[in-house]
Amino acid sequence: MRKIKTFKISDKHYQVDMRGWVCPYPKYAVESLVKKLNDGNQMDLLVDCPSAPDDVPRVALAMGCSIPEVTQIGGGEWKIVIIK
Amino acid sequence: MERWNKVYDDIVTVFYRSLWKKAWPLWAGALALAFANIFMFAYARALGVFPQMAMWGSWIYNLMDIKVDAPFTAVPLRPLHLDIHSMINFGIILGVAMASFISEEFKIRKEDWRGYAAALVGGIFMGFGTVIMIPCNVGGFYTAIMALSLSGPVTVLGLLPGAYLGGLFLKRQVTKAADAVDFSAAPIGKPAKKVRASLQPYIGVAIGILIAMVALMFFSMGKPKFTGLLLFGAFFGVIFQRSRLCFASAFREILISRNGTLMKWILLSIAIGTIGFAILKSQGYQPMHFVFPLGLHTVGGGFIFGIGMVIAGGCGVGILWRSAEGYVRAWIAVAAGMLSSGAWVLIYGNQVGRGWLYGKPFSLGEEFGWFWGTTLVFLFLASFYIFITWVEAKKNEKN
Repeated sequence: MRKIKTFKISDKHYQVDMRGWVCPYPKYAVESLVKKLNDGNQMDLLVDCPSAPDDVPRVALAMGCSIPEVTQIGGGEWKIVIIK
Repeated sequence: MERWNKVYDDIVTVFYRSLWKKAWPLWAGALALAFANIFMFAYARALGVFPQMAMWGSWIYNLMDIKVDAPFTAVPLRPLHLDIHSMINFGIILGVAMASFISEEFKIRKEDWRGYAAALVGGIFMGFGTVIMIPCNVGGFYTAIMALSLSGPVTVLGLLPGAYLGGLFLKRQVTKAADAVDFSAAPIGKPAKKVRASLQPYIGVAIGILIAMVALMFFSMGKPKFTGLLLFGAFFGVIFQRSRLCFASAFREILISRNGTLMKWILLSIAIGTIGFAILKSQGYQPMHFVFPLGLHTVGGGFIFGIGMVIAGGCGVGILWRSAEGYVRAWIAVAAGMLSSGAWVLIYGNQVGRGWLYGKPFSLGEEFGWFWGTTLVFLFLASFYIFITWVEAKKNEKN
């Protein structure tokens, strides 16, 4: 099975690297990922498909998360900050 | 001077930031697509891309000394630079590349072998789907309905369940990976850094200049229609890249996420296009253009195509456009789609639309008159819209 790379950046702050997962994978994964995240924790989701910066926040917002930031971090790469 | 600064700021805001830095709203993409398709039909022909790719496949076989005719009679075998229809595809590739670089969204998007295997299988499914359903999602569904071909609405019966099945496969794949994530056991890592401004916009402008040069080259060779279709293709490319109007996603999301927003905009786009096509056709202009054979093959082929386009990551236009954004998955899917559809005459023994497999073309306009034909298309669009809303309503019930 293909793995999703996950790092701990600090307490209650994680980075999930889904670069290399084309659309619609990030959108489908975010539901499971948010469920696993503890309340009040932050997850920076890294994606590289151009639809994800729109699609992923929509799913996360519908689950009651807040999205304080969506930034382009490089050519064709974005960071979506999700706080549960 | 201050006034000129304001003019500069205004131009940058409108022509750079809103066009290239932000994604276009779906409605803008849907409207632009409908009008561009009407204009291109009035100019020469409507939008469809797979028959050209199938011809490229047959052309490659012939280069390898395997004699095989191109599957679609409308796009006969000839060197690619002499094929007027291929100009649309080249235009789309170049237009997407330009848009993707200008907006700094280009990246060689590599995956692991599982993604490539999915692309291979998806591409082969699409290749066979296109010659059985006739032709691809955009040509056989989107444009065919506008063209008042009864085959257009019927493709939905195959495409929708096919896309659902493909979507289930994708969802299962990624849900398994996401379920395996354990935040409490995650190793310590450093946050990803923002990379400094790239050269991508300059490369994009260079591709824009290249498009203009190729267009001028055909023009100076006495082939103005080649120029026209190349530029139309480039415009379609920009629309697709900037608005993310993905037909595979439109079909997939209806049943997978119970979200039909994208398909609803596509239905509006078809409605506008139908009026334009009906006006032109009712005046005797190419009345049978994009009217395809109809039969059980429409549904069966649509089902195969539906599965293929979802696991390959895009319909015919989708894989073509993503190949220009650097998706390795799309490169494999395009190659697999070309080579499988390009071999169709060897496998089936006849060209598309001929022989035992295919039914007869049925034009709603020719059979019932253009007014009633258009009315029937609108009834179909309304029914599909209601069906989607009904599917979506269940999601709201659950919440």
